[in-house]
Amino acid sequence: MAVVNAAHLHLFLNHVPTVGLVLGVGLFLLALVRRQQVLERASYEVLFAIAVLTLPAYVTGLGAQAVLLDRADVSAAAIDAHQDAALLAFAGMQVTGGAAWLALWRLRRNLEAGPGVAGTVLLLAIVTLVLMTGAAAVGGEIRHPETRADDAVIASRGPMPVSSIGAFVTGQAWVWPAAETLHFIGLSLLFGVMAVINLRVLGMMKMVSFQALHRLLPWAVVGFAINLSTGTLFLASAPEQYAESVPFFWKTGLLAAGGGSLLYLTVADRPWAVDAGESAPAIDRAIATGALGLWVAVMYLGRMLPFLGTSF
Amino acid sequence: MTDVLLWLEEAALPSSIREGPHSVWAYPAVLTLHTFGLMVLVGLNAAVDLRLLGAGRQIPVASLTALFPLMWAGFWINVVTGALLFAADATTKAGSAMFLTKLTLVAFGAGILLAIGAEVERAGPVGMDVSRAGRRLAAASLLTWTAAVTAGRLLAYV
Repeated sequence: MAVVNAAHLHLFLNHVPTVGLVLGVGLFLLALVRRQQVLERASYEVLFAIAVLTLPAYVTGLGAQAVLLDRADVSAAAIDAHQDAALLAFAGMQVTGGAAWLALWRLRRNLEAGPGVAGTVLLLAIVTLVLMTGAAAVGGEIRHPETRADDAVIASRGPMPVSSIGAFVTGQAWVWPAAETLHFIGLSLLFGVMAVINLRVLGMMKMVSFQALHRLLPWAVVGFAINLSTGTLFLASAPEQYAESVPFFWKTGLLAAGGGSLLYLTVADRPWAVDAGESAPAIDRAIATGALGLWVAVMYLGRMLPFLGTSF
Repeated sequence: MTDVLLWLEEAALPSSIREGPHSVWAYPAVLTLHTFGLMVLVGLNAAVDLRLLGAGRQIPVASLTALFPLMWAGFWINVVTGALLFAADATTKAGSAMFLTKLTLVAFGAGILLAIGAEVERAGPVGMDVSRAGRRLAAASLLTWTAAVTAGRLLAYV
């Protein structure tokens, strides 16, 4: 029996962003035509969920590269081009997911998402769909000689952000320490806000309604965005440190679960209804306990990257 | 002074964390606890400061008192783990300007935390308003802890 490796997981996950984006954009357009807010909300939820799943899709790609690199029947130029295209598409997807999150946060508070936010989400989703389709097409070329152009042609196409980022980070001694510092500040912001909200669900600060704390969520998202950006910088400039790292593999999985937890706290009806002085239902207390453990575990696995993994 | 630092560095616990048979897990464990203390203290502190600066205005100020025991727990975890990390590398750290900067910032931060704690207790059970002094303390607190984290993180590189 074959061992499940990163290449398997990547093949399993890599269709999710493209197909999911089509679904998300489709739902959004349907919401426009039928003028139904429930469809609009669903489209934001789909786009946010796809952004979350794009994280493991991207990271397993690095592992798949490590598995494939020494094979004679794949094109190294196509792998490089795919990595470049995937980085751009990944970044676009995360920005789209962030905008979709903002729309969901506003809708939860019974505000309209607003034409500005809604239009931004749609525009970002369409741009990302173009980038994602491009990444998928050149990804297919890695293993499909029948659709593949010459290596020289592949190498001459499109921007090459991965090598530019790598050169930038290795060329400037201050970049890595500065990004590490920002990563710790982002982690504090994210954890602090998540801790306050989840501790309230668990029964601390009972005099505060959940809705009052919901207003703090954007600060957690700012922390998340700082860490996603600096994390992507680490990943893009030194992929070999993470491609086969066991703690990073689990960290990625838990981060995806953390994205789910953020979505739950943003949109779910049960915690939203917990008023000042009231206790949250047992199921939400269980979810909050899991969420707290999850963020601590994400920190632990990140901290262990140099010790259990291959990072520094 | 150097003798004291050397003695500290060679003492049983610090050297076993650094190079003993348990150092494979002991050093990462102490480092992880230090990061845990950091995210509890600085993270919750950031949430408190943001509230005082006007985020989440419907959160009663007095409700924040519940977070102070947790923040102080994070602080003391980091005093203990920080002392261990210092002892394991005393001769280098004691002469490091970055390390002394960090200690000064942490001392400032702890003082501000005490002052903010008193400010929050004054707010009364349903108080929503924050005094000008409270807002200034919150801004100073955010800046100080951000600088302390920065100095601490840069210790790994200078």
